[in-house]
Amino acid sequence: MSSDLPRGFHPHGDTAFVANFSESEREVLTNLAEQIIELLAERLDHQSDDPLAAMVGITSHDTPPDDEVLLRLLPNAYADQVDASEFRRYTESTLRAKKQGHAMAMRINLKTAIDGVVEIDRNGANDWLGAINDVRLALGVRLKVEENSPEQLQLISPDDPMHGVYAVYSWLGWLQESLLEAVMKKSQ
Amino acid sequence: MVKVNEKIDEELKAIFSGDVPWITIIWDDPVNLMTYVTYVLMELFGFSKEKATELMMKIHTEGKAVVSTGTREEMERDVSRVHEFGLWATLQRGDLQ
Repeated sequence: MSSDLPRGFHPHGDTAFVANFSESEREVLTNLAEQIIELLAERLDHQSDDPLAAMVGITSHDTPPDDEVLLRLLPNAYADQVDASEFRRYTESTLRAKKQGHAMAMRINLKTAIDGVVEIDRNGANDWLGAINDVRLALGVRLKVEENSPEQLQLISPDDPMHGVYAVYSWLGWLQESLLEAVMKKSQ
Repeated sequence: MVKVNEKIDEELKAIFSGDVPWITIIWDDPVNLMTYVTYVLMELFGFSKEKATELMMKIHTEGKAVVSTGTREEMERDVSRVHEFGLWATLQRGDLQ
């Protein structure tokens, strides 16, 4: 039955959205979700020594991440460096946890899919939209989408590993668009 | 004598009380889909589809747009929520634009 379903996300009943994934699509997406979860895990050297501070999410890191991908996922909130550091100290842990939560929800949905069919509700849709977006942001940094035009990216040689990365990046854009269309259709 | 309407009066009061409004700015980026930016604006700020589309186009063509105004604490909350969904936002005092 699953193979009869159209590709991408579609509204299903009053409150749900469904999509049908092939085994390899699920594998790729699960893998990417796990990488995002791992990337966003708290850096051990930056956990606060003060248990109370750690409990309320205050960390000792107030400098922006060195890693370009992490910096894109956890950007500065102020142009001013002093204000940006202060804000980061109080909020970065929470932001990491929320983004991990989106990726974890997507991972669980993929792991528990029956016959490759993922069914999610409106909250689940927000988890998926956020998680897909974080993966695209991460891949976008590696693909240097800031400097390269879509035309240039399409011309990447099939011998170049970035060719496959761009294919996944484009597929995720298409998948995200299908979910956005489904959600917006329902909220009208 | 200059005529002071209600709006200017409020503005003047704000300046002297140190109660200057803060703003949240969303910046353009080449990864986020236009539909996604529109959706996030509707979902997080409660804009209509028309208003959200208009702001998204402003971000896309002008590189940035102010999406909310309020106290510093309110803008910090807005920026955090925008970051959760992967758009890049910053906050600043509204008079420093």
